Amino acid sequence: MEFTALFLAVTIVMLVAWLGRRSLALALFAVVFLASIATYLHHATDTLKLSF
Amino acid sequence: MTRALAVTFNALSLYAVALVLAAAFAAQLLLHELPCPLCLLQRIQFALLAIGPILNVRFGPRPSHYALSLLAAVAGAAFSTRQILLHILPGDAGYGTALLGYHYYTWALIGFAAAIVLLAAILLCDRQFEPDTATTQAPPGAFATSAVCLVIVLTALNVVSTLLECGFGPCADNPTVYELLKRGT
Repeated sequence: MEFTALFLAVTIVMLVAWLGRRSLALALFAVVFLASIATYLHHATDTLKLSF
Repeated sequence: MTRALAVTFNALSLYAVALVLAAAFAAQLLLHELPCPLCLLQRIQFALLAIGPILNVRFGPRPSHYALSLLAAVAGAAFSTRQILLHILPGDAGYGTALLGYHYYTWALIGFAAAIVLLAAILLCDRQFEPDTATTQAPPGAFATSAVCLVIVLTALNVVSTLLECGFGPCADNPTVYELLKRGT
């Protein structure tokens, strides 16, 4: 569900960037970007099978 | 590089992002390979990569617009690197089908790395940031407008596709069926 929400949010940011105010688009980009990083950190729980 | 040429390059970059999103859709629909959570995150970063060029087409080229794309490309490169490392051990077949010898996440890393290099290269051109001599900025042409619409439509299609795949719950690590269609049958 979180990925659907992220895609929807990106679509909204694109529409704002194209049709709306620049400052709002920049602010929304920051929110969506941070949300995508948070989603990544939430899902990146598998241990990497690396040894050095 | 003039502002007009920079806007044309930005429109071309939007077509490139559209091509990546369309290719991901093609693999999903033709090969019936559903994207995993990390794959979806990489698609999201490709879509975020397009916001800088959209702003450049609409408001004219600015370094801050390129910075947005750089941030998205670096995050996307980090996500795809992690997925490569998850499948790096000998004997691991990787996730999904390989295309021309590389899995999609490896191609994604190549794409994000190429985007970083291209963004750095275009940032070297200072003339695009000089104020336009015309009193009002010309509206975007059909070429650029089509590119923007194409990327927005493809991203919106990903909303539908991801909703069908994941349903209203968390996405499966190795998805094999569309959750929402399964519930309907």
